[in-house]
Amino acid sequence: MRRALVLAAMLVLGSCKVQLTPEGLAKTWDAITDAQKELTPENEYWTGRSVATNLLARHEYRYHDADALQAGRLDGATAYVSAVGGVLAASAMETTRKGDRPAPIAGWHFTIVESDTINAFAAPGGWVFVTTAAIDAAESEDELAAVLAHEIAHVVRGHALGSIKKGRWANVAKTALDTSVQLDEASLGELTQVFEGAMDDMIDGILVKGYSKDTEYEADRVGLEIMVHAGYDPQALVRYLKTLDAEQGGGGGGFQATHPKASDRISKIQGKAQELGKVEIPKVRFARFQAAVEAL
Amino acid sequence: MQRVRTSKQWFAVIAAGLALAGAVAVAAPKAGSTVTVRVMSAKVMKSPKFIGPAAGSVSRGDQLTIAEIKGDWYRVTGAKTGWINRTSVVDGKVALSSSPGGGGAASRDEVELAGRGFTPDVEEEYRGKHPDLDFSHVEAIEKTGVDLSELGAFVEEGGLGGDQ
Repeated sequence: MRRALVLAAMLVLGSCKVQLTPEGLAKTWDAITDAQKELTPENEYWTGRSVATNLLARHEYRYHDADALQAGRLDGATAYVSAVGGVLAASAMETTRKGDRPAPIAGWHFTIVESDTINAFAAPGGWVFVTTAAIDAAESEDELAAVLAHEIAHVVRGHALGSIKKGRWANVAKTALDTSVQLDEASLGELTQVFEGAMDDMIDGILVKGYSKDTEYEADRVGLEIMVHAGYDPQALVRYLKTLDAEQGGGGGGFQATHPKASDRISKIQGKAQELGKVEIPKVRFARFQAAVEAL
Repeated sequence: MQRVRTSKQWFAVIAAGLALAGAVAVAAPKAGSTVTVRVMSAKVMKSPKFIGPAAGSVSRGDQLTIAEIKGDWYRVTGAKTGWINRTSVVDGKVALSSSPGGGGAASRDEVELAGRGFTPDVEEEYRGKHPDLDFSHVEAIEKTGVDLSELGAFVEEGGLGGDQ
């Protein structure tokens, strides 16, 4: 429908000449979408790899269970966090909204970054990172799930991709975007320049300046839906935010630099969490969480 | 009396016409249609849900035939028989390689589906400009995905699942 509306607007406003043939319409649509740069799952995959690498580089590539991961295995606390994340990812795929990106091409990946700063962050393409301090701050699997669900929400809602400044595409020639022509060196150079800028935009949003407050509130709201559908206690999000609130003002880094005040997030989400009720957390969830945390 | 339409009305008429044309041109998948696996790998499930027993695995580029549709799930036949979620496939027969977006030897289908923008060629250029970045970590981690089909025991033990 949006395709039709955009084309109709162009026709009516006379901003360009369009051949009213299916081929002409398709070409015009291609040009418009190219200009808007709606990144495909394949583009998201290639973007995500570089964003994830940059995020790990900023943490000196220090992450848990590295030997096992390098050997192609999930082990220890990483296996546990990945299991919790996997349940949430399945839930996200079952609770999709219009515009969601719920099925990354290479699947979901959950990595524990070694850091004393409470934080969690995510890159396009299903990359979710949580710091050891963020896990330490959680008191249950359900609170960990709240953290991971918030990050999954950022990925499925395309928040990092959305932080790429639209003007970055302005100087890219049509030939660089036209899939029907061979990409020449100049076009590749133009796209790589946009890629460089896009990396800066996304890393700013993810790790430095943060997203807008509304974006974070959306991630809380969508994350809450995801965790509740998976069977986790909605109150766990509020409890974790209260822990963050107590930490607020401690140092200013990590989540404090990139998220609205925890007390504001609580005000925004508390009503919805209350509506969703409370889940009695089985003892086994506490026990396996404790066992995983001890391995950190 | 001849009715004179305003620009706004023409906008609505053309939009409606084009929307109808679009709806006809992009037919919804139905039993008998072919779909192509878009994700690197996916489990074909014994029942239409992400967590539970799998009937087998399929890879990017595998083509499957829809036998039945239930919500977002397709019961498929072909390389494997079972249920696959619509988010893992793309409609139609599409020539896809294991590398999303292709690269030098990408098929026309591959390039069309991936669109332009950020592709393997762009990543290669970017890596060339940033030799300090070590991509070996994401390349290793990427090979260790969470296998959702194997989380049944974890879900059951923890009293999770809901509708899953």
